Amino acid sequence: MAGQDQRPEKYEQNPSHLAKEFPSRTYQGRPLIDFVTNDWRTDSRYQEGIYTSDESESLYRREEDDYWVHPRWKNMISYKRVPRRVQRYLLIYVALLIATWVSWTWFIQPDWEKNKELESQLNAKPTSVFGSNMRPEFSDMTQVKTLDSSLLPSEHQLMQRLVVVGDVHGCKEELQNLLEKVSFHSATDHLILTGDMIDKGPDSPGVVDLARELSASCVRGNHEDRMLLALNDMRVHHASLPGPQEDPGRTVDTLDEESFSHGDYKARALARQFTDKQIRWLQQCPVILRVGEIGGMGEVVVVHAGLVPGVPLERQDPFQVMNMRTIDLDTRLPSDGREGTAWEKLWNHEQAKLLEKERSTVIYGHDSKRGKNILKYSKGLDSGCVNGGKLTAMVIGASKEGKAKTKIVSVKCKNQGLKR
Amino acid sequence: MKFRLDFLLPLLAALSTLSEALPVLRRRDADIESLYGITRLNRDHSGKKGDPSGKYFHESTFHPHYDGRFAEKILSYDERRIHLTALMQTYLSTMSDIGAETWIMHGSLLGWWWNRRIMPWDSDVDVQMSYHSIKFLADYYNMTIHHYKLPGIEKGRDYMLEVNPNYVIDSIDDKLNVIDARWIDTETGLFIDITTLRRNRTAEALGMEGVMMCKDKHHYLEKDVFPLRDSVFENMPVKIPFAYSALLEEEYGPKALTQTDFENHRFDQDKMEWIPLRNPRVRKGPLRDIRPKLRTPKTGPGSGI
Repeated sequence: MAGQDQRPEKYEQNPSHLAKEFPSRTYQGRPLIDFVTNDWRTDSRYQEGIYTSDESESLYRREEDDYWVHPRWKNMISYKRVPRRVQRYLLIYVALLIATWVSWTWFIQPDWEKNKELESQLNAKPTSVFGSNMRPEFSDMTQVKTLDSSLLPSEHQLMQRLVVVGDVHGCKEELQNLLEKVSFHSATDHLILTGDMIDKGPDSPGVVDLARELSASCVRGNHEDRMLLALNDMRVHHASLPGPQEDPGRTVDTLDEESFSHGDYKARALARQFTDKQIRWLQQCPVILRVGEIGGMGEVVVVHAGLVPGVPLERQDPFQVMNMRTIDLDTRLPSDGREGTAWEKLWNHEQAKLLEKERSTVIYGHDSKRGKNILKYSKGLDSGCVNGGKLTAMVIGASKEGKAKTKIVSVKCKNQGLKR
Repeated sequence: MKFRLDFLLPLLAALSTLSEALPVLRRRDADIESLYGITRLNRDHSGKKGDPSGKYFHESTFHPHYDGRFAEKILSYDERRIHLTALMQTYLSTMSDIGAETWIMHGSLLGWWWNRRIMPWDSDVDVQMSYHSIKFLADYYNMTIHHYKLPGIEKGRDYMLEVNPNYVIDSIDDKLNVIDARWIDTETGLFIDITTLRRNRTAEALGMEGVMMCKDKHHYLEKDVFPLRDSVFENMPVKIPFAYSALLEEEYGPKALTQTDFENHRFDQDKMEWIPLRNPRVRKGPLRDIRPKLRTPKTGPGSGI
């Protein structure tokens, strides 16, 4: 109060100076502060309580409402009053904890459990394992063949390349396009077909002729299997089945042939398209082709559908090698159904557990629904060419250090429309 | 004269039907009386009296896997193995000579899968045949005796092929005659039950294609059985269904194909044989099948259980 009363005298002494210096803060040559009064304390105009709310009414006003947390409660909680910063941080930590717990229980943990189960199943050493039996032996099938080592890419044979192609199914044109795309030179490159070269597509004999021309290696697929067995049946039967004049579109047996033709008209019609030389070439295709050691990939093996890990190649079941899609983890029993764990998952898991020099990479086809499936130790190359997908090849070469260089090349295919 | 000859022939035919001189096929089974001279038995041990009248094949009164017209006692474990093996080999040899299309199934297929032999605890052999083959056998080889010289038996042994005339009945409602033919060892009474794999007419009527069935209620897809594969069983060439491991997996489950301990036997991986763990007794009662996981149980008269 004293300071305030003093100020007007001070300013009155130098009014002009102030007016020049602070033009917005002066009025009639005097500073605005001079016009400020304390009337609000005394004047009755300001006493009437226009600006008071109900809260100040003693009826509605409660002392408790003034505080976030009433001191009474605060004293209950904290022995010494906890500083506000600590309180704030505590609250934030509690909130984060709750968020973590919620996301763990409802999102992360079920997935983790599932993965853990799969791991444990893959790891479980089964007490009874598939492959204990004597290998089924068939008179017209070769189980394993080994590729000529002079065709293998290595640091001594740098120019050599292997071109492994998935299920061709008679699409000769697309195969030729693919070979052009990878710049196939028959002097240094070797073609390997993963089975199912025939059936469904437009030119099955053409594909076989092309493969024979290039001295390609092959593997027996389930379509070759069925066709060759049906052909064998035809030749062996005591009563002859209709000859070339049989209508290829027929779907019914006459009464005489009913019980022994077994309805395999399609297999018979297909078998009739091939010459004896082509049939012999198809018959010499083994079930498993052992390609050999290529740096970094271990022992490379080519089959049509899959292999059971832990069973030597000679003891694999031929039917399952040509047909398997899934495997039972308890007994390691392969199956051609689609329910269950994919066989390549177990294969890769088992390979990773072996010493590096004992590992093996398998290249296969057969499963066009899942298409191209490239994993570390298994390469699935069937991209469904005959149904309008792609024809895929894996080109394997060697670097100067002897390490394998692989490349995946595909060409688009026309939809041949046949879905069996 | 000419007129009388014309009249004579139809008169003769009419008379012969009256006197039943023309051969008329009547349904009756081959009872022991008709087999005197083939069987060495005088007493009939077949359970014929206890069986319903329409049933053609009968099991013996003491064991379902022995034919009562030829057998009077149960064989020991070792004897049974030898005779069953001979039974299988002679059957396969005969069928391949005749040209009948037959293949092994069920327990025999499982035995083939493990080590190309009959499993030692098995007391029967399971084979199937195509309809054309059984018709051929019924027409030309029914009740024929085949003589085989076997190692250890100087005189050799006779085997009889008997076809059930009810094989022509296509439906599973014919529960009494589920077995279509039998290959019988006339000295020991062991036999092979032959069933026919037929086209499933009811499924075809519903529009499903390629479904086949047996009268013992087994169902198969045609593409799983045909085309047949050639292999070896008990050192004899044999035919195997196309998708053999898929069929075995479906019927017996994964344990039967991987468990090396079974029925008091252990599969020795070096010798590739089932070794008995201790001297097994020959069971007197009916033997249970190897954990069949069939959709419908393989039971009932004539099924061998």
